[in-house]
Amino acid sequence: MSMGGAFRAVIVFLIFILLHYTLRPLLGWRAPMDFLLLGLLMAAVRVRPGNAALIGFALGLVSDSLAPEALGAGALAMTAVGFSASYLKAVFFADNIVLNAFFFFLGKWMFDVIYFLVAQSVHGAELVQQIFLWSPLSAAVTAAVGVLLLFIMRPLLEPSTA
Amino acid sequence: MARAVRSNPRTDLIILVTCLVLALAARALPDAMRDPVSTTMRRTFLAPLVVLQERAELSRRAMLLVDEKTANTDTLTLKALRVTAVEAENDRLRQIMGLGARLRWGFIPAEALHGRGVRDETTVILSAGGRSGVNRLSPIIAPEGLVGVVDGVDPTMSHAMLWTHPDFRVSAMSIDGTAFGIAQSHLASATGGYLIELRGVPFRATLKPGALIVSSGWGGVWPRGIPVGTVMQEIKTAEAWARTYLLRPAVNPADVYSVMILRRERVSKGLDGVWASVAQADSAAQRIVVAGDSAAKASALAEAAARRAALAPLGPTGDSARAAASRVPRPAPRVLTDTGAPAPVPVTQPPVPEPEPRDTTVTRDSISVAPRRPR
Repeated sequence: MSMGGAFRAVIVFLIFILLHYTLRPLLGWRAPMDFLLLGLLMAAVRVRPGNAALIGFALGLVSDSLAPEALGAGALAMTAVGFSASYLKAVFFADNIVLNAFFFFLGKWMFDVIYFLVAQSVHGAELVQQIFLWSPLSAAVTAAVGVLLLFIMRPLLEPSTA
Repeated sequence: MARAVRSNPRTDLIILVTCLVLALAARALPDAMRDPVSTTMRRTFLAPLVVLQERAELSRRAMLLVDEKTANTDTLTLKALRVTAVEAENDRLRQIMGLGARLRWGFIPAEALHGRGVRDETTVILSAGGRSGVNRLSPIIAPEGLVGVVDGVDPTMSHAMLWTHPDFRVSAMSIDGTAFGIAQSHLASATGGYLIELRGVPFRATLKPGALIVSSGWGGVWPRGIPVGTVMQEIKTAEAWARTYLLRPAVNPADVYSVMILRRERVSKGLDGVWASVAQADSAAQRIVVAGDSAAKASALAEAAARRAALAPLGPTGDSARAAASRVPRPAPRVLTDTGAPAPVPVTQPPVPEPEPRDTTVTRDSISVAPRRPR
């Protein structure tokens, strides 16, 4: 990746983080989109799995710091998702909208499953409802928003042809 | 999307395992150590993000509450607007209760229902009728004074003629009984509001602005002492043999909502003391004026007596007749004795003459008893 491409990727990554702490609480949906995870997935396909794991760990700690009861759960989930996304990018990632959406959906759902299992903040039927109802809904919203943002930010994400 | 080159999987695995171990270690931290770590991060490099999130949540809350706040503001505004009306109504009801306490008996409380036509404040419907003891020509009063008279009675309601009606008349007098006349609505004030004319006042009787005019009790319809209005000014009319005064009414017809209808037996017993405070205040003011005049007269008399004493050794002169005439007892105002205040100079006074009978042309309440118009 060129320096310009890396710089643009960093800009996009910061935009996702900014959206996570502004647009998401402003909307306040019951099944919210996860801009941090979108940023992680966008970064993960551009770096090695080890670096993706590091980025995921850092983002996880950032999100956990606002929920101290689950400190470490987000970091663990994001590390796993980042490494997996970077490792499997050759399999899943392509210039296909459906594949990209499925990639986002799967990443968000995987994150939620790991997070709620490790955090142990919900139990029993509530955990099942969270994993099989709200998490898929949130993953679907995240995937839709991710695809939309991919279209919007394509000029920033495409490598220069010069 | 660009594809990264995957290389050195062993290093990646080491990093992954390290991150997982650190995450698990963070998860396993006790609360006493977990809170300082998260707090430190929130207070340092995450502080801008925390502020952003806080403001976003505040904005969302404000957006959600804007309708509720608008409704609350509207409700408060409406309540604030009603407070003034409620306070005015409260004062009005207190006055009604005070009038009822002073009347003690022989009255029927009623609500006055107005017609809503333009300047249609000449008649009202009262919520009490024949079953409550209301009779035709029963006087209607308010805490401020005279309102009107019942001119039609139904079993459950009655029809009343307010003082603003062109046919309404009431015999009235000044509070000291020195001037009598017939009060009726001042029809010339088409744009100046509702006023009252006091017609037929003898020329010898002059009324000063602000003097209280009350019902005289002559005619049998209205008891004596109900405030009718206060004198504003004298007006010129075609009646060259009597004075006509313009009165500011005691009761504004537009503000008449709760009234008292007097029963016949209460009318026959009179209303002594009901408006005593108003009458006494006006009477006291007039007494003060008259007392000042009496003091001036007494001083003049004393000076004249001293002058006569000085001239006595010189013998009778042409002024004797006038000096003798000045010794003729002068009528002192009756109010001096009423006030209980000591007179400046003791002067023997003949009894104060009673007010002259009223002119026979105006001595009775001339309420029109024309047949009721069909409504």
